Amino acid sequence: MKKKIGVYICHCGGNISDYVDVEKVKKSIEDEGGVYLAKTTMFACSDSNQKDMVDDIKGNELNGIVVASCSPKLHLTTFRNVSERADLNKYNYVHANIREQDSWAHSDDKNGATEKAILLVKAAIAKARLAEPLIPNKIQAQKAVAVIGGGIAGMKAAIALSDKDCPVYLIEKAPFVGGRVAQWGNMFTSNQTGEELITKLYHELIKRKNITLFTGAEVTHNAGSIGDFRLKVSVQPRYFTGTCEEKQLQQAIDACPVEVLDEFNFNLTKRKAIYRNAASEYPQTATIDMENCTRCGKCEAICDKIDLSQKEEILDLHVGSVLMATGFDPYTPAEGEYGYNEVDNVLTLPQFVRMLELSDKKLIRNGKEIKNIAYIYCVGSRQEEDGNTYCSRYCCTSAIHTSVEVKKKFPGVYNYHFNRGIRTYGKQELLYAESLQLGDIYLQGDEESLPEVSGESGKTMVKVKDILSAGRLIEVEADLVVLVTGMVPRADNSVGSMFKLPKGRDKFFNEIHMKLRPVETFIDGVTIAGACQGPKNIMESVNSALAAATKSYSYVSKGELETEPIVAEVDAELCSWCDACTAACPFDAISMTNESSKAIALINNSVCKGCGMCLPVCPTDALNLIAYSNNEIESMIDALAAG
Amino acid sequence: MTEKIRKSAKILVFSTEKISDPAIDMAGLLKLHYPPTVYTITVPCSSGIKSRWILHAYEKGFDGVFIAADGTDCVFGESCTEKTGQLVGRTHVLMKEKSLDPARLKMAAICSVCSESFVKQIKGFNEYLLKTTNP
Amino acid sequence: MNGPSNQLNFDALVVGGGIAGGEAALNLASTGYKVLLVEKELSIGGKMIMLSKVFPTLDCAACITTPKVSEISRHPNITIFTSSEISSINKIAENNFEATVVRQPRYVVIEDCTACQLCEQACPVSVPDQYQYNLVGRKAAFIPFSIASPKAAAIDIENCVLCGACEKVCPTNCIDFTQEVETFQVNAKTVILATGFKLFDPLMIPRYGFGLYKNVITSMQMERELAPTRPFNTVLRPGDGKVPDKIAYVLCTGSRDATIGNPICSQICCMYSIKQAQLLMGALPMADVTIYYINIRSFGKGFDEFYQQAKGMGVNFVKGKIGKISEQGNGNLTLRYEDINEGIVKEADHDMVILSVGVLPNQDASDFFGQDELQLDPYNFIHQTDVLASPALTSIKGVFVAGTASGPMDIPDSILSAGSASSEAISYLIQE
Ligand SMILES: Cc1cc2nc3c(=O)[nH]c(=O)nc-3n(C[C@H](O)[C@H](O)[C@H](O)COP(=O)(O)OP(=O)(O)OC[C@H]3O[C@@H](n4cnc5c(N)ncnc54)[C@H](O)[C@@H]3O)c2cc1C
Ligand SMILES: Cc1cc2nc3c(=O)[nH]c(=O)nc-3n(C[C@H](O)[C@H](O)[C@H](O)COP(=O)(O)OP(=O)(O)OC[C@H]3O[C@@H](n4cnc5c(N)ncnc54)[C@H](O)[C@@H]3O)c2cc1C
Ligand code: SF4
Repeated sequence: MKKKIGVYICHCGGNISDYVDVEKVKKSIEDEGGVYLAKTTMFACSDSNQKDMVDDIKGNELNGIVVASCSPKLHLTTFRNVSERADLNKYNYVHANIREQDSWAHSDDKNGATEKAILLVKAAIAKARLAEPLIPNKIQAQKAVAVIGGGIAGMKAAIALSDKDCPVYLIEKAPFVGGRVAQWGNMFTSNQTGEELITKLYHELIKRKNITLFTGAEVTHNAGSIGDFRLKVSVQPRYFTGTCEEKQLQQAIDACPVEVLDEFNFNLTKRKAIYRNAASEYPQTATIDMENCTRCGKCEAICDKIDLSQKEEILDLHVGSVLMATGFDPYTPAEGEYGYNEVDNVLTLPQFVRMLELSDKKLIRNGKEIKNIAYIYCVGSRQEEDGNTYCSRYCCTSAIHTSVEVKKKFPGVYNYHFNRGIRTYGKQELLYAESLQLGDIYLQGDEESLPEVSGESGKTMVKVKDILSAGRLIEVEADLVVLVTGMVPRADNSVGSMFKLPKGRDKFFNEIHMKLRPVETFIDGVTIAGACQGPKNIMESVNSALAAATKSYSYVSKGELETEPIVAEVDAELCSWCDACTAACPFDAISMTNESSKAIALINNSVCKGCGMCLPVCPTDALNLIAYSNNEIESMIDALAAG
Repeated sequence: MTEKIRKSAKILVFSTEKISDPAIDMAGLLKLHYPPTVYTITVPCSSGIKSRWILHAYEKGFDGVFIAADGTDCVFGESCTEKTGQLVGRTHVLMKEKSLDPARLKMAAICSVCSESFVKQIKGFNEYLLKTTNP
Repeated sequence: MNGPSNQLNFDALVVGGGIAGGEAALNLASTGYKVLLVEKELSIGGKMIMLSKVFPTLDCAACITTPKVSEISRHPNITIFTSSEISSINKIAENNFEATVVRQPRYVVIEDCTACQLCEQACPVSVPDQYQYNLVGRKAAFIPFSIASPKAAAIDIENCVLCGACEKVCPTNCIDFTQEVETFQVNAKTVILATGFKLFDPLMIPRYGFGLYKNVITSMQMERELAPTRPFNTVLRPGDGKVPDKIAYVLCTGSRDATIGNPICSQICCMYSIKQAQLLMGALPMADVTIYYINIRSFGKGFDEFYQQAKGMGVNFVKGKIGKISEQGNGNLTLRYEDINEGIVKEADHDMVILSVGVLPNQDASDFFGQDELQLDPYNFIHQTDVLASPALTSIKGVFVAGTASGPMDIPDSILSAGSASSEAISYLIQE
């Protein structure tokens, strides 16, 4: 059939047309073979242009379209939908990226950019000339979602999915759910404690029959893809067959010879290898930390509900979507960074928050009552080029909130805030106002003059050139120095690599597009929520968790999904079954078949992912990828070379 | 007409939909400039590029071919790096047979945010090609 | 007049067609629910559709809004009422809300209008264009703006002189002066409030001279000057059409200021000012841009890097509080400010001043509800009753809040908040 192609070249309101002469591009491609009409448009993606395209396609019976505009990552679906609305198979539409890869990249060379645009459009026309209608594959989507990480984000996502009648597996690595929030006392911007919040949510969780909660569990293996993820989950035992009587449990804990630093309190205190949950940790039961347990059997001898012989379980889960909510780690300062680990009254903010929780009548460090507290902001955030250049967002508010809490609980305390410009955005500003009213002192440094901490002769001094008082050097003797540490990605983020999740410059998991697709990732079917995507406070984490739940739900709710029909094809004439391709295929999609008594390769279309790894290994060039055939690629090369 | 001064070499880039093409997009977004005679064809995965396409490009007048490989981030699995390496190796052999300078085919892993590295590599490649190939 | 066709049933009623309302409507619609989207203005898209480019990625706002807007307007499960307002919403029971929606006549049959603009040319009346934030004029018969949705003419009846010129030129006869106000009774099972925010009116701070000195403009006006669909096709100062070369930004105009009754931080002004400064440096390479600030709040993903980038490009950042702005004979402006670093009062001359106006609550929604009280927070945003665990909940069960209706936020946060509200609404629809 003769091709009748419509070409649309976008100004992008100047983003393209300021650098690319779009009229010239139009003129240069009008006479290309197959081109029936060519137009320029202010915004190709606008409603009115979409309508025009539909009318053009229908009115002129076009059987191919080329859109030259921004990156196809933004609007591929938009224009595919346009074709479908005009009853044109969507694979007859070809995109040319003349913004990100042309007008913006070559904004320094307008002629060069225009010449390049002409060739890019010609190459797209060449491809459109050869494009064939394709029918998308339909796959079954398993109506269940795996939520990885049981912090506030994961718990809320699980509840939201459950309420949409979607079965959920909530997989938490730690023996308890709650994540970081379980570690905090009174929280901003509500007067709830972490314990109250997690308690409430845990009861919501277990009330729901279609949520299966695994604690002490990790995904160890992932196969499959959107609609059909096959996960292996290893679940560590709790080493309890029931609940020990309280007295016995205490005796067992006392008997345990292993003492380790307690991570829940950020190493401020110690605990045994067998330990009780904190009040805010659920399920409310003791557990044994096998990494440190020596299996001496002392606890087992005291309570018969303890059973050290329990083994890990490996489960197979089948889900249609994965929602990642693995959270963050607080930044750990380097040795000696603002005196950390060198001066002994230097703590991090998370440690200080725990210390407050553990302190009752007096705030005491090393036997001395604390009067002056110095907070040093932006530790581990807003660093130079190669470090963590980002702002951690939660910490100004958190530090101020904590300092206000301290003052309420211990009115004699003086707070000194060594900040780099306070960022209590939105309503959080009121905390800052409150703190100023309470008489807290704010001293501001900048990247050139950061505060310094020194600890000599039993005195800890913090000094800074305060830009708020014309750069005067101000020195404070502090009984406690609190390093306001930022958020960093989890030290062990291997589960992300298992799903091949891309990371951003800040090393957090990256969304596809902050505004268009903020909870989706480049890996179809995997969404991200909470602080694993970047620093967030609780409200922001929950908002993103619910948004991600809605997205994950949309993948599985209909029970069926369309996938790209881009798979490998075998040319039966050329194939002589040498078997080279089976080794190249990472998905075992190729097997042997007999066709008219000749052995040839057979592609299993529902397994083939369309990577094309088999193509280059074929000695007879019998393999092609649909939509990327020799003909298509080489004609694009011809078009690009012609300039 | 004055003789045209060749400012930049003609380079064909094979990028990949999910990994290296987003990086090339981001280079544009950040206005990191590179020569406008660099053209991209996007494929699903760098390990699916055929030698004949590469050779076809030289035949049609491209000075260089740059494979912006997925590297270890490839969504189709770890074997991608190795397989892309192998296809480059095979193509180098074919290039030598045709007395083409194997350095005219370059491969580098470009992660989805490696815009700066992409631009650096392309600029270096462009300079090399300008020195070694005739217009 | 109001026959049975004015009785409508939907699963969800979304009030406000900005980015938050639009996103929420789309989420519900693509899950299979029928949605009525009610928008007060002539076009959906809210503030975002009017912006130039958006921080921190510098995507053009239109490139992100237009396809969303067109997806919304085409979605088979979404019905859009523009020029419409809610007069009341009553909760009868769970999953049963009765709303009265009043639609103002547009005097144009949207379906028939081709946006040919002939009526605009024919109309003799010229008034300030509210969609260009009064930078230029428009006619009484007009198309709101070039990327409006629906893209159809409207008659501004308040200013119309009823000369009939537009009717005569309209090739499709879509102008219809007989249209009247219509009232609809809407039944919906859930309600999402996405009524957005209001911009601070700088007339409230007379010492800045807004309204008095022509070259003092608001940041929203500057957005328009920088937008691809901009009125002048270049950046110039309104006083005399001169291209400015010494531009000042005054941050926290109407924010963090108890004296004008708004103690909170607007959360977006630092970033949009930094964005505009970068765009200005691009558009006018010779211009000097100075940002007067108290604190720079570049807290989000990629924001601090964006701030550093602006510093690298040569934008001046001065930590200073503006006392007073005064005009010189040539239209230039003198800024008197306290230099916080040096602790002294200084003066600086600029030829154009942009007031980075803050976010104020839109209190419309508090009047919708009869017997049930929609609580507002102390700053008159819609109160989030469970701000940490369920940020979209309001004081009325089944009514959810999305976007800036609950407090200042940028576009990414508005979109996530809309995702959150739609998730709650879907759960409510299924569970109740
Ligand atoms: C000192 C401090 C004080 C704070 N105070 C406040 C406050 O007052 N108000 C406020 O709004 N915010 C506060 N925050 C921020 C708040 O802690 C975060 O917003 C919140 O914890 C983010 O929740 P999340 O679920 O994304 O991550 P997390 O809380 O980190 O939870 C992630 C969960 O995933 C689990 N996980 C990790 N990896 C895996 C894996 N591979 N497999 C399975 N599970 C895994 C973890 O064990 C954890 O349970 C504070 C933060 C800090 C550091
Ligand atoms: C100058 C400026 C520049 C900005 N730049 C950026 C930027 O670069 N990046 C970024 O992320 N953010 C930016 N923002 C912020 C951005 O505009 C907001 O985050 C976003 O518009 C919020 O969307 P919304 O839907 O919540 O509210 P709105 O955009 O205010 O939308 C609310 C909608 O509801 C309608 N409505 C109101 N009341 C009623 C009623 N009673 N009945 C029916 N409908 C009603 C309104 O007409 C409007 O259409 C900027 C803001 C300003 C002021
Ligand atoms: S929130 Fe405040 S303390 Fe945290 S990194 Fe940002 S500026 Fe520094």
